[in-house]
Amino acid sequence: MIIASDLCKEFEKSYKEGKKTKKEKFLAVNHVSLTAKEGEIVGILGPNGAGKTTLLRMLGSLMTPTEGRVTLMDTEGNEIADDTKKKEAIGYLSGNTKLYPRFSIREYLTFLGEVYEYPKQEIAERIERIIEVLDMSSFADSRIEKLSTGQTQRASIARCLMADPMLYILDEPTLGLDILSADAIIRFMKEQKEKGKTVLYSTHYLEEAQVLCDRIYMICGGRIVAQGTPAQLMEQTGTSNLREAFHAIYDESEREDNNETA
Amino acid sequence: MKRLRTLIRKEVMDVLRDKKTLIIMVVVPLLLYPTIMIGMTLIMSMVAQSQEEKIHTVAYEGSGADTEVVTALEALYTEHSEDLVCELTFEQMKKSDDAQADAWFAASAEEGKNIKVEISYTSTNQDSNYAESALTELLTYYKEDLLKEKLAGQGLDETFLTPVLVESVDSASESESVGMNIGGSIGMMLIVTVLMGAFYPAVDVTTGEKERGTLETLLTLPVSNFQMIMSKYIAVALFACVTAVLSLLALGGSVVFLMVGASTELAAELQGIDISKLLSLVPVLLLAMISVALLITAICMCFCVFAKSMKEANNYSTPVMLIVMFASMMGMIPSAQLDYRTALIPIANISLLIKQIASQQFSFPLAAITITVNSAYSVMIIWILAKMYDSEDILFHDGFKNFQIFKKRSEFMKGTVPGIGDLIMSVVVLLLLVLYVGTAVTVRAPFAGVVVQQLMILGVPLFVTWYMKSDCKTLFSLKKPGKGSVMAGICFYVGTFCLEMLLTGYLVKLFPASTENMNKSYEILMAQPTILIVLVMALMPAVGEEIFFRGLMYGGLREKCGVKWAILISAVIFGAFHVSLVKLIPTAMLGACFAYIVYKSGSIYIGMVLHFLNNAFLLLQMKEPDTFGKILPVLMKEEFALTDMLGFLLVGIVAMVIGIILLKKTGNK
Repeated sequence: MIIASDLCKEFEKSYKEGKKTKKEKFLAVNHVSLTAKEGEIVGILGPNGAGKTTLLRMLGSLMTPTEGRVTLMDTEGNEIADDTKKKEAIGYLSGNTKLYPRFSIREYLTFLGEVYEYPKQEIAERIERIIEVLDMSSFADSRIEKLSTGQTQRASIARCLMADPMLYILDEPTLGLDILSADAIIRFMKEQKEKGKTVLYSTHYLEEAQVLCDRIYMICGGRIVAQGTPAQLMEQTGTSNLREAFHAIYDESEREDNNETA
Repeated sequence: MKRLRTLIRKEVMDVLRDKKTLIIMVVVPLLLYPTIMIGMTLIMSMVAQSQEEKIHTVAYEGSGADTEVVTALEALYTEHSEDLVCELTFEQMKKSDDAQADAWFAASAEEGKNIKVEISYTSTNQDSNYAESALTELLTYYKEDLLKEKLAGQGLDETFLTPVLVESVDSASESESVGMNIGGSIGMMLIVTVLMGAFYPAVDVTTGEKERGTLETLLTLPVSNFQMIMSKYIAVALFACVTAVLSLLALGGSVVFLMVGASTELAAELQGIDISKLLSLVPVLLLAMISVALLITAICMCFCVFAKSMKEANNYSTPVMLIVMFASMMGMIPSAQLDYRTALIPIANISLLIKQIASQQFSFPLAAITITVNSAYSVMIIWILAKMYDSEDILFHDGFKNFQIFKKRSEFMKGTVPGIGDLIMSVVVLLLLVLYVGTAVTVRAPFAGVVVQQLMILGVPLFVTWYMKSDCKTLFSLKKPGKGSVMAGICFYVGTFCLEMLLTGYLVKLFPASTENMNKSYEILMAQPTILIVLVMALMPAVGEEIFFRGLMYGGLREKCGVKWAILISAVIFGAFHVSLVKLIPTAMLGACFAYIVYKSGSIYIGMVLHFLNNAFLLLQMKEPDTFGKILPVLMKEEFALTDMLGFLLVGIVAMVIGIILLKKTGNK
């Protein structure tokens, strides 16, 4: 289980005013609290620049929050405090987590197995199993730079699977994929949920989120503007699907922001 | 440890799969030396051979004494043609046709006077050059024959002309002097090749990884920043070492090939090298190369880690190349030798060591110091880099927030406090300035060297604060001190001074050689007038060193890591800057004392005055020992008696405790 309490991330942005460069601080993530439990797929939705990636990076221990705290619990409910141990328990995947282009998938997975300090025999077994599950045997020994987008994304999933983490943080995992590859990823998330793992993921595909997510957090301007199950969100906004609900919530939050600035 | 090994293996494999790196690392060194050495000598020998075979024309007009001399020269030519650099033929032609000849010859003789010979040639033309050399040689034979004839006519023998025969005997063997001549340039070539071998992999594993987008992936793994930097460093260092070894092999191969095969001047010179003697020094050479490879890798890593893109990293290659080349050129300066002072200058010491090895003037302790110094510097650099490396800053921001100094000045807001990186940069820049510029001036004029050093110590903090628009008043604690604080400061200083004297007395006994060296260097400076000594060695340090160590260093560190660490670190750097084993701890103690006074009183001025008095006191003690001995006889003693020591200890502790209490009472909270 992962609990984020009152997370903030402050960035500096610079802009030109005449000849002078001025700097201004702003909160990319503004007092966000959320929870994701075992056996749950939690969706993070929001427009571009809403702070989704920054939030997920803080949850994945890649960034330190300016304020607030991320607590990660193991299956027995004990807190994992050590940063390295935290990373062992999290499978983090985003558009920015590229794979070594000069390695083959098999070599890369072997490297990961060694980093996670598994015994040699186990590494080989795991790799075989993952290659089979993700149907990668035809390209497992080619260099990653030669793979197609879909194949590369499957290799990225393989990367996360290698560690067998208890929590998956997936930043737009189906972005730009064909239907077959996207379906493979969705199937993968469902399987992990069935195994009792936690999946936290962000997406722009609302139809996908509507069927997949147990709960959803909607983010706008770094703040959580709505949360609940897809059904609850639709009910709250009086809409019939998540896309319409999203629009309703987004418009409402824009109006509030405008009122505040006025 | 196992994880680190895995990471290193991954880095090595990743770099090895990049063909560009392999070419630069393996092919370049393997080709560079054979190309330069063998290629050049082959070209030279080809030129020489073609000149030897070619018949060069010497023209003469045939008037005056020309014909007579030429006839004699032609006779001599048939006798000596084998010994000349090229073949010659003499042709009589008109002066207007001299363009057809390689050299022009004219001779005139007056009765009872010597024969005047004029050779006209074109020094920029190879054929003309050779003709002139051969002609001059022939004329020498001619001159000798004439002389013999004349001496015989007078009934004298040749000893008449040479009543004294001078013969200088070089104690260096031929092998040693050849090594001395070529050792300097070989050192530079080897070092620069290592740099080439290290730089590309360094760019590839740092900015390359960031640009390929795999750095974020690496950070999702259970790997600490420290492990990551260390693994990258070790991988690149491995490549640099491989380049170093390959360069040595290629160099050795080229030398052997030339000694066996070619027949040119350089080859003839190389014949003089005693290979078996050199071979026994190969392990030392190898260690030296590895230590410099470690250091160069560390330097490359520092530059590459800061770079935002591969393009930017590649831009850094020029300044890095310049720094390394500048330092390694030291070996090419004929008078520069490896000694206990130059052995402390990184990179330059390796180039000097290689020269020493090549000339077989090898000293084991100096080699050990050189290798240790370079290795120690590299460990220090990489340790600091690994500790400071903040993956979040590198990955998601503009780079090191600790290194703001690389930003444009217009981007700074007023009152910026220098980050840890900026402070380290300041120390490094100052150290480099003192080591290279300071040493260069000191060698020529010791006293001017001190002035230049002091100006640099003051200049660096002033530049940093100006560039970063820092608030000097706060950073340097430029505040009028309270009266109470002044008294408390003096009391605390007197205590520290007593303990310092006690410690110095002990250290001098422990390291007599080091003390002697230090005293010798002071002797030269002490020849200056007293007023000048006090001005340059007491007043200037009091201002400059206080501004740098208690202003910039302590002031900057205080903001970033708290007062305790600020006092400690600034004091250690202050001690280390006095490059002396004996002075290190006592000076650090003094530094801590001044920093503590700044902390408690909030003013740098008390420290400045005390620093001035402290230096002036010690200088006068050296300059006017007799007057000083009358006033404070205890300080002039060669060795302290037990009662003296106890006295110092007692006074020291009491004064220090009172000082601390007073400072706490009077100081600002």
